[in-house]
Formats: sequence, structure tokens, C-alpha cells
Amino acid sequence: MNGPYPPPGGPVPGGPPPHGYQPPGYGPAMPPGPPAVPPGYGQMPPARFSAGVHRLHPATALLRAFVFWLIYFVLLGFPLLLTRRGEELVLFAPEAVRRFALVSIPVTVAAVVVGIWGWLALRFWVAGDELVVETGLLRKRRRLIPLSRVQAIDVVRPLMTRLTGLAEVRVEAAGGDRAEICLRYLGRGAAQRLRAELLALAAGLPGHTPEAPEQPFWRVPFGTLFLSLISRLPVAAAGVLFLTALVASLSLLEPGFFSVAVTTLLGLIGSVIAPLVTYGGFTVAISPDGLRLRHGLLETRMQTVPPGRVQAVAIVEPVLWRQRGWARVEATVAGYAGERQALSSVLLPVAPRQVAVALVAQVFPGANVDAVPLLPASAKGLSLDRFAAAGTDDVVFVTRRGLLCRRTEVIAHARAQSVRLTSGPLQRLFGLGTVHVDAPSGPVRVAAIDRDLPEARLIVESTAERARCARAHTRSDPTRWAR
Amino acid sequence: MSYGPAAPPGGAFDPPAGGDWHRVSPRLRWHRRITAVLTALPVALIGAWWVHQGGGALGVVLWLALVAVSCAMAWIVAELAYRSLGYAERAEDLLVTSGVFVRRLVVVPYGRMQLVDVTAGLLERWMGIATVRLHTAAAATDARIPGLPAAEAAQLRDRLAQKGEARSMGL
Repeated sequence: MNGPYPPPGGPVPGGPPPHGYQPPGYGPAMPPGPPAVPPGYGQMPPARFSAGVHRLHPATALLRAFVFWLIYFVLLGFPLLLTRRGEELVLFAPEAVRRFALVSIPVTVAAVVVGIWGWLALRFWVAGDELVVETGLLRKRRRLIPLSRVQAIDVVRPLMTRLTGLAEVRVEAAGGDRAEICLRYLGRGAAQRLRAELLALAAGLPGHTPEAPEQPFWRVPFGTLFLSLISRLPVAAAGVLFLTALVASLSLLEPGFFSVAVTTLLGLIGSVIAPLVTYGGFTVAISPDGLRLRHGLLETRMQTVPPGRVQAVAIVEPVLWRQRGWARVEATVAGYAGERQALSSVLLPVAPRQVAVALVAQVFPGANVDAVPLLPASAKGLSLDRFAAAGTDDVVFVTRRGLLCRRTEVIAHARAQSVRLTSGPLQRLFGLGTVHVDAPSGPVRVAAIDRDLPEARLIVESTAERARCARAHTRSDPTRWAR
Repeated sequence: MSYGPAAPPGGAFDPPAGGDWHRVSPRLRWHRRITAVLTALPVALIGAWWVHQGGGALGVVLWLALVAVSCAMAWIVAELAYRSLGYAERAEDLLVTSGVFVRRLVVVPYGRMQLVDVTAGLLERWMGIATVRLHTAAAATDARIPGLPAAEAAQLRDRLAQKGEARSMGL
């Protein structure tokens, strides 16, 4: 089997992974103690973010000043160094150097001031149940994020800051496109501790609770990721087109074919190399404070999705993956909106199907997608999709569709926002309707298409009822998962 | 496969068992018709003038006939839309049905409502009607009840907000 984690804790190939983790069990088991000291931070007394006012890492000021200066240099500084002498351009002519120094010294001072100003202006602290971020020195602007609303916390290390040991912390709260807080940059150890403290506070534990232990769940081997990326129909088609165009351009020496080859190559890079860099080294780990995803070759990203934040998931099986039994898991997390949604919607880029199903069981405790009986859609419809089916049990509502790329979409009854029945003019001709179980906007749309209308209404009623029961059985305050 | 406790209703868009749809104000029809006429008038005039520039009285007549037919369609659709619209408050959720071409039925649990808003445009205000709209975290929910008498809309909004408050459970 392709490289799961070493035996302890890793899923057993061919069987469902062990489910050692019980959702709430971490409140009493781990009494509040001194904060865990990450390696390499032993000398410094670790800062506690739950007390006092904090600033970003001081190097942020330098970094910002450097970026500011770099922009200046590219746009203005470098041209200043050039002198035209007759026909040729001369670098470092004495008068040019003098001119450059005259402009650069004030700009450098300004850059440093801007950097320090920005660093001084941003302060953050935890007040009661809220993370407060204040920006501005003269005109202050405060943003408050209730910790109970935190949907996900990401620790991102862009390529540039990997050299300097800095990291960015992003806190996502539900509600619109602007509901996230970016703290860039903190020291790497500090970023980890801030993440752990915010999660502990959000869970209803004291802030100095040590970081919850994690259990490795799955690691995506690089080879599998690469194979899975190239074995998709559009990519395969583009590859064939590229080779054909290349051969044609070389044999016929026709520039038109060559440009086709270059264009397809660019497309291939976009659809293979870019995801390879983003999802390279993908690991999934499970801890009491949620799913932890780590990935990225250049920019490393560590996402933590606390329990109960995943709204809906989809198991996607492109046609070329099905023979190998591969699947991808996508999810809707309410905090991520817009561009971040696309970046953060993948819970598992490729894995054997049973691992994907086991991950869904981790996200929606008690769900077993493969055990849900699926009833095929009505054959009367005009839809070509003969895989369309839907089914439900007490925990989840499952729909399946897609002739080539099969999507199995799952939503827990406890997470359903509303249930809709729609019936278009063509569908009404055949007496059919579609039942939607709505989740916040994201990659997953749970819809049971082409059901017979009386059956559709029964599905609506039963789903509404099951959702009511599921909500009633959820603990009174689902945001405090450790209490 | 059994679908749980609900008694099977007759038609898919029938009211829930043991109740009837609350209908909205019949003034909604007139609101739709007046809106249709108000849009049709400038379209008819500008279109007629434009066709006239191209020459030919026949074109103008055809154009006006076309606009008249669409107006008549809008007239009928307004009636059908009014008849298709209904809502029902149950113990735990609100049902809204609507739609002429695409029939819709939405079930929104009170606990999932993020906010309820009441809007009334200029014409709506003049006619004394308003639109109540329910928002959940899912944008697709889109539960709108247009054409409620203004007082009823305010009452419904308050009732829904109260029920939502009592059952709210975040996301």
C-alpha cells in the first residue's frame, strides 16, 4: 500500500482505520498544567496569549520595511542607477550613485518608519471570550472575534518567511468575506502556542491547557498525489493534445502547432504542478481540538478545523481513479469564503476510498457513508446520470451523482440549514422534483435529483424531522466542544 | 425504505398535515401587474421609436403587439404566482411554497434562522404590503414571503425572531 503512517495509529490498509478518538474526552483527562514548551523555545519564558497585550514578532517591522524598500528599488531605485552615455547605458556612474544615495537614504528611513509604525500599531489580546485585534496608532480600529464562533485556525508559513522562522496565523470566523483575522507574522513557536491557546479557549478550557495530542490519520505519498493529478480526464486529454501538437510542430515545422503546444503545457502546469506544490506532503491528523491538515511544498499550511465546523463533505471519484479505488474528500467549512474557500476545501487530495469514508466518519461522528442505503433516482427523467441516487440514515443525508466524475455528497442532519424541494417545468412534466439539503456556500451541494414528487415530499418531511431530532440531541452549546 | 413519522400528504406541494397555507394579500397581484405595466411602458415607447427609425409602421404595430402579449402573460403569471404562494408556521419550522415555472417548497427550522428582514419598496409601501425574508447560513435557502400586509409582516417578523432566539444554536 502506498505509504500510510508507520503502524501505530495509522489506518490499516484494506480495513477501516482505527477510531481511537472520542470527541469530548479531553476535558477532565488533561488537567490544566504548565503550558507545553515547544522544542527550541526552552530558554524563553513562553508568552501566554490569554493574558496581557501582545504584538507581532519584531522582525515583522524589518520584513515590512524590506518589502517596501524592494518595491522602491525595482520601480525607482534601479532606473536611478542607470545613466545614458551616448548609445549605451552605464551602471554605477559616479553622479548616478550620488543621485541614488540622495533619494535612497530618505526612502530607507521612511521604509523603516513605516515598518515600525505598522508593528507598533497592531496589538492583540484575549478579553474574556473574544480575540481583540486593534490596529492604528492615531485612529484606532478594533476587531473582535468571539472565540465560540471560530471556524478554523490556520498557521501559514509562506516561502519567504520559512527562511526567517516566522509564521502567519489566520483565524476564521463565520460570517462573510471579511470575517477573518490575519496575524502576520509571529514567531513559529509563538504561532503554534497562540493556535493552541485560542483553540483551548474556544473549547471552553483554560488558555494554558497544553496543546491537545494528535493522532496521525493519513499521509498522502508524493507519488500517489502525482499519479492522481495526471490521471484525470481533462489532464490526460491535455497531455495527448500537447504530445500531438509537439510532434506535429517538430515534424511539420509549423509555428501554429508550436503555440498550441506551449498553451497546453501552461495549462498542464496550472492543473498538475500547482496542486502538486499546494498539496505536496499532505497529512491529516486527528486531535480532540479538531482535524489538523498540513500541506504545501513551498508555502506550508497547517489548518485546524475544530469539531462540528465542517458543514458538508463530498467524496469525489473521477472516472480514472475508480479502478484504483481512489477518492478525494472536499468539505464546506463556514469560515472560508471566496478565494480561501477554494484553497481550503480539500480535506484529503487523494486516498483509498475506505480512508475517505473513515475521514467522513471522523468529521460526522457516527456516520458510515457506505452503509447508507442509496435509492436510485427515478428512471423517468431526462437526465443521463444513471448514478444519481440518494439515501439517509439517522446521522447523515447522502446523495450520489455524476456519470464520469462521481460525487458522493454527505451532510449531517444536525448541520442542515434548510430543506428545499424544487420542481422545474421539465421535471413537472414527468412528475419529478429535486430535494436540496442546504449547507453554507461551498464546494458541496447536497441535492437528490429526479425523485418522484410524492416521494420527494416524504424525503423533505423526514429530513426536516430527522434534522430536528439531531439538533435536539446535540449538546446545548455545540461551540464549546470540550465542556 | 421508511421515511419516518410524517404522514404522506397528497400532492408534493400541499400544506403540512392538519393545516392550510397562509395566503398573502391579494394586493400582491396588483403589485406585480403595476410593476409589469410600469416596465412595459418605457420598453414599448423606446422600442417603438427605435423600430420607427428603421422605417415601417408594421414593425411598430408588431412591436406593440409583442409588448401587449407579454403584458397579458405577466397579468396571468401574477395571478398564478399569487395562488402558488403560501406559508405555514409549524412547531419547529417554517414552510414556504412559491413558484409558477419552478415550484419550490422550503422548510426552514427556526433554530437555523440567522436574521429575518422586512423590506418594502416604494410601490409596496403605497399598497401597504411588505416582503419578509429569512436568512440562514446557507445562501441557497432564499425563503421569501412577498405581499404580506405590512402589519402582518411585522408580526410575523417578531414571531419568527422570537422563535429563532429561543432555538438558536449558532452554526
